[in-house]
Amino acid sequence: MASLLVVKQYITNFIGRYEVYLKPLGKFLLAMLAFMTINSKLGYMHKIDSFAIVLIAALLCSVLPTNFIVLLSAVFIILHMYALSLECAIVVIVLFIILFLLYFGLSSKDGVSAVMSGLLTSMGIPYIMPVTMGLVGGPTSIVSVGCGVMTSMIIKTIKANATALMAMETEDMTAKLRFVIDAVLDNKIAILMVFSFAVTLLVVYFVRQLSIDFSWPIAIGSGAIIDAIIVLVGDLSMNSSVSIAGLLIGTVLAIVVGLIVQFFKFNVNYNKTEKVEFEDDEYFYYVKAVPKRTVAVPTRNVKKINSSKKVVRK
Amino acid sequence: MTKLAIFEKEKGKKDMVILNYFRSDYIGFKVLKAVLAATLSFFMVFVLYLLYNFETIMADIYKMDLIDVGKSILVMYLSIVGVYAVIVYAVYTHRYSKAKKELKDYYSKLKRLEMMNSK
Repeated sequence: MASLLVVKQYITNFIGRYEVYLKPLGKFLLAMLAFMTINSKLGYMHKIDSFAIVLIAALLCSVLPTNFIVLLSAVFIILHMYALSLECAIVVIVLFIILFLLYFGLSSKDGVSAVMSGLLTSMGIPYIMPVTMGLVGGPTSIVSVGCGVMTSMIIKTIKANATALMAMETEDMTAKLRFVIDAVLDNKIAILMVFSFAVTLLVVYFVRQLSIDFSWPIAIGSGAIIDAIIVLVGDLSMNSSVSIAGLLIGTVLAIVVGLIVQFFKFNVNYNKTEKVEFEDDEYFYYVKAVPKRTVAVPTRNVKKINSSKKVVRK
Repeated sequence: MTKLAIFEKEKGKKDMVILNYFRSDYIGFKVLKAVLAATLSFFMVFVLYLLYNFETIMADIYKMDLIDVGKSILVMYLSIVGVYAVIVYAVYTHRYSKAKKELKDYYSKLKRLEMMNSK
């Protein structure tokens, strides 16, 4: 345990020292991953489906605020949808406007969460996000996680119906629009996931704030289990096709990632808890003090010993 | 002193922007933005709904009781806008109270620092 704490301190010190370089690098990598995932999943517009465009966009995102990754991802998706069909683009634009108004109204600081939710959903393991955001975020993080999940599910739905849509070239606009809207509204899994993640996030958030011992591990465990139960019950009742293997792996990963987040953010020693009472002019205080687990990081002192040199002057 | 400097640089700036407004003005402005956003969203979804059911609506428009239809649309609009406005009101009331508490804490620490320096 002590060695893990030393490693944690080294990581924290490293990040603290080189934050100026690590933050843009992190944004660049996240943006690259997001744009490459969008291009690989969709790829209908060949002009933007090139490494050079993705690289330029990612470099731009590395120096701009994090929400630019969200905005540029939306632009990439809309362009691909436009290349597929105009009706797709119209429906996706309307959906994105609604999601953006919600996102920028309530949870505009959670850009990373929105992008990560979308990426993890496309990989089939979205269950990590509600548990993690319940630990590090707040109730409004439901919006950013929900937006990411919805976006990824919409992309998946439209891709699944792309062949049928391309075969409807001779149909009129309203028929194609109706087809796209039907496909999007039929997506029961998206609604199930968003509902399940909202409940999970709230459970994790409220349980971890309780002043009980081991509140964080209890929050992580209960959140992950509740998430799995809601998804399973919803899958059975709606006859949707949720991958059970993905759910199990995702739940286990959610617990593992949650415990890692807890190790970095809330590593305390409940054995040395102290309860104190005191008062000032205005209030009586009942305080429960739980000490953090810390360890002194060994510092290396390099001492150079040089032999003295005699200078002879002529 | 270090904590005060960090607070001033990051969270303090945002908290000071929030507290430049009176509570009612800040929350009222956010709720107004939310109402506008909800209205725009409702309008777009309504247009999509009309396009989706265009043929049915055109066929039945003379048979429909337009006043009843108008009332149900209005009720739906007011419910959606109302629910979203309540959520936004709750969120921004909490944010304003939190910002006020953090700045109060900041100013009391600043005062203590000032007293330490004057000794």
